[in-house]
Amino acid sequence: MTDTRSTHTPPIQARPTQARAAQAQTLAVEVTAIEKVTPLIKHFTLSAVDGGELPAFSGGSHIIVVLRGATRVYRNPYSLLSSPRELDSYQIGVRRMEESRGGSHFLHDHVTVGSRLEIAHPVNLFALAKTARKQVLIAGGVGITPFLAQLEDLHGGAVPYELHYSVRSPEHAAFLPRLRAREGDRVRMYYDSESHAIDFDGLLANQPLGTHVYVCGPAGLINRVLTTAKRWGWPDSHVHSEQFAAPPTGDAFEVFLARANLKVHVPPYQSLLESIEAAGVEVPYLCRGGVCGFCQTTVLDVDGELDHNDHFLSEAEKSRGKSIMPCVSRAHCKSLVLDL
Amino acid sequence: MLVSGIKSKPVYSPLAADTLGRYHLMLATGGAATALARVLDELTAADPEAVTRARVLFAPDAGTIAAGAAAPFAHWPRLDVRHFPDIPALLAALRVVLDESVMGTRLYIAGPESFIGRAIQLALEFNMNQDEIRAEELGSLARRVHCIHCRTITEEVRTNIVECGRCGRWLLVRDHYSRRLAAYMGVMIDAEKPGERPAVEVIFP
Repeated sequence: MTDTRSTHTPPIQARPTQARAAQAQTLAVEVTAIEKVTPLIKHFTLSAVDGGELPAFSGGSHIIVVLRGATRVYRNPYSLLSSPRELDSYQIGVRRMEESRGGSHFLHDHVTVGSRLEIAHPVNLFALAKTARKQVLIAGGVGITPFLAQLEDLHGGAVPYELHYSVRSPEHAAFLPRLRAREGDRVRMYYDSESHAIDFDGLLANQPLGTHVYVCGPAGLINRVLTTAKRWGWPDSHVHSEQFAAPPTGDAFEVFLARANLKVHVPPYQSLLESIEAAGVEVPYLCRGGVCGFCQTTVLDVDGELDHNDHFLSEAEKSRGKSIMPCVSRAHCKSLVLDL
Repeated sequence: MLVSGIKSKPVYSPLAADTLGRYHLMLATGGAATALARVLDELTAADPEAVTRARVLFAPDAGTIAAGAAAPFAHWPRLDVRHFPDIPALLAALRVVLDESVMGTRLYIAGPESFIGRAIQLALEFNMNQDEIRAEELGSLARRVHCIHCRTITEEVRTNIVECGRCGRWLLVRDHYSRRLAAYMGVMIDAEKPGERPAVEVIFP
């Protein structure tokens, strides 16, 4: 059978013109509320500067927040956690990363109520399957955020759903009061501090036909869900995951942009994409987290090793070394030549 | 008359075992059962216990009944084989089986397209996707035709044009296929000039 479209959403291969449009049209927003919801997570409310409605989105969407620091610009992806039916503001949850290159620290330490930010239009790379017969959501830590918006879509509908939410300890359970009030027992909590782990086999071995599972959280949790689902025979089209990799730090290196005829220095705490942008060269992007595949760039030559950190390229493509995702990937090399 | 190159026309390929699946639900009618035997061989070669997680729903067709042929499943004594008198009985049981099935199940279908189409139509109700369903077309090419004017399905259509079983319009049988209806679209052939229509030819033997 090759005639049919599956309900699986493949990584978006939107038109480059669409991406440029999304990039070009940033929205001006003002921070109208900040609440610290756990020792590490702050909840930001963003409203349009002109006071109007913000663009519509669906549960699972993210925005890119542009942060203009003193010496550099950060563009970080954050899932929208507010209701898709309330467009007077967007809400995001930001975890303070231990090894932040500065984006989450900037939001935590320098952004206050009244601060103005630029954001890109919402894009959804983690949409719910509309034809599912049952939805199983699995969140780890701040990975709860896209599910908060999706639950708004699921609540009151005919499709059964359940949320499994794993955190370090009760004080780290962000947005739990809101979840409990709304969803009651549909939310199952798992606390590392009580050695209470998700029973992945129990959760995935006996789900009815037509169930979809979604996981968002740390890499370890995502890998457990993906490997367990595979072991029980789940096909890829029913398993959905999203993790925005923060661009890892690494050794400094030089990159040569062949078409621009430009040599660019990539410092340890700046991503390849950010360095290229700082040099004035535009690269199309959507997620800036190694998920969407949009910034895929051809590697013309490398004297050394590529350091692939994305979730988009297959293992075979990674080892072939002809492509790189500059948003999260780097290189340990003497020289790197890109087709830009 | 038949517009070719329509993307919705299903394309089938020979059945092969999907060893990534945990449960294997197999459907066949008549002599198409041999395709399932091939899948069972492959599954057993990969994992001798796989047969205990497989189930066959089988219905004979006119040919096998006339020949008195037995379905070739005796080779696997531990296999759960269920025999049905005809395709409607098999499909009624399929709905119950799908309702009890869990994620990890793969569906294999062997038989004529009208049978495949109705089985997939049911599987879609249970949100099975393309990566969980495999089908091999064996047997008659006769089509189920959906009259787009009165929305009635005419079964077992073997000809290029056909008279709708309900409204009596003469329909051109198109390659445009609906998985939801498990039928090809039939469009009135002589709407512009009543009575002017091509000769009836058997093209789906």
